Amino acid sequence: MTIIKTWFGEIELHNGQIVRSNVLQTDAVAIALQLQREEFTDLDKRCRSRLREMAIQLGLVTSEHDYISLLRAVAIQRAKEQIIAAFSRPDARIVQLIGGIDDIDESINLLSERLLEWDVLEFNISSSGDVTETDASQSTIYPTLKHEFVESIERLSEVRKKIAGTIELEMRDVAPNLCSLAGELLGARLIAQAGSLESLARMPASKIQVMGATKALFKHLQYGAKPPKHGIIYQHPLIRGSPLGKRGKIARTMAAKLAIAARIDFYSKKVHPELLAQMEKRIREINNPAIRDKT
Amino acid sequence: MKIKTHKVPGVFLLDSHLATKGEALYGEKVFGEYRLWNPQRSKLAALLKKGEDVPLRPDQIVLYLGAASGTTVSHLANIVSLVYAVEFAPRVARDLVRLSERVKNVVPLVADARRPDYGHIVELVDFLYQDIAQPKQAEIAITNAEMFLRTGGYACIMIKARSIDVTAKPKAVYKGEVKKLGELLDIMYVHELEPFYKAHAAVVARLA
Repeated sequence: MTIIKTWFGEIELHNGQIVRSNVLQTDAVAIALQLQREEFTDLDKRCRSRLREMAIQLGLVTSEHDYISLLRAVAIQRAKEQIIAAFSRPDARIVQLIGGIDDIDESINLLSERLLEWDVLEFNISSSGDVTETDASQSTIYPTLKHEFVESIERLSEVRKKIAGTIELEMRDVAPNLCSLAGELLGARLIAQAGSLESLARMPASKIQVMGATKALFKHLQYGAKPPKHGIIYQHPLIRGSPLGKRGKIARTMAAKLAIAARIDFYSKKVHPELLAQMEKRIREINNPAIRDKT
Repeated sequence: MKIKTHKVPGVFLLDSHLATKGEALYGEKVFGEYRLWNPQRSKLAALLKKGEDVPLRPDQIVLYLGAASGTTVSHLANIVSLVYAVEFAPRVARDLVRLSERVKNVVPLVADARRPDYGHIVELVDFLYQDIAQPKQAEIAITNAEMFLRTGGYACIMIKARSIDVTAKPKAVYKGEVKKLGELLDIMYVHELEPFYKAHAAVVARLA
């Protein structure tokens, strides 16, 4: 006697014959909900080959064609639910927000460069080759255009500020320890680079240290160039502000603590203020070896 | 334009362009009822374009691991009877779902092929197709073949050498993966996908 659980319900088999079953209705949405709620174990190959046959025998569907269309409807419904769930995770939102900031920065740079070129519009070259003031009609069009252009750049930078503020709020909630060590924006960037807080939490510190320095890392692995000291964690003021010779050591220490922080944030969410103190203490020791010798 | 049939039933050659019969789905070029299949966008197309015979038949059920947005899936669905398409990344799975709403013989599954949790949905299949950029490609293929592939069924595994070891020579990587696959499957042939894909090889095998 074996009991198997399939996507369309529970079936009890005796010597390969169906003796009892608990088949669901033919409503795709209801079945998809059931799939989400329940735990399933693997089937053996013999049962697997009989899925269609059993569903027809149990009267769930009347033909193989119907079996496939019901299964398809269920799978599409379930897949949609899974996709929505994946997109509504707070770290998925953070990844998108950081992407937005990067796009805005790029746009602002591009538009500002164009703006510098637009000085040309305010002058008119007369036939004699002299630069003269533009005539009355043009003198109103061009400054207005330029003014609107400037306004849209300013508007973008306001939006950027708002997005950054939202990221800070979300980050303090999602990854408080990561925030205290790396700061909200850098923490968010780390999550974005890793793809999710979960994958960041599963990363070894050494990978966090060089994340974002992919090119340099692979140059090192493939051609034996010097290994990179830091990836995006370079943006941290404690690394950027340190002397060149010590950045590697500091980056290593920081990455180790960031890895711990990400794991705490993902698995327990408790706030551990001592992490920051430990990291700062160690970095002080690196910067000033004398402190360590004394204690 | 001359229309020829390929060794694989359901695949056609319009002059030298690969094509399948069906409705256009992702913006590919169309000639009448034929949709062109770009070997630079699909590793299966690259393998077919190189003139290889892939044991795909019209009545087969296929388990496709690493379906991505479903470009290859959509052509495969023109060739075989049913495709179970597994994709893990939600972004591209969204495109895959959209596609399966239009193609009647594709069942989309958002799942991780490394830890198959679709055992209660997928039936026994005749063909396992795998195209995933993961370090443990051979192991994933073996796990899935053991669970889903029928005896006498075939497998086509696209090995991406760069996902396994960037520092090693691709040929050495293929050799290692083929050896691992050989523990379960009978290897029929290994074919590199140059010039369409760098450091990729297709392994076609049979489950005895």
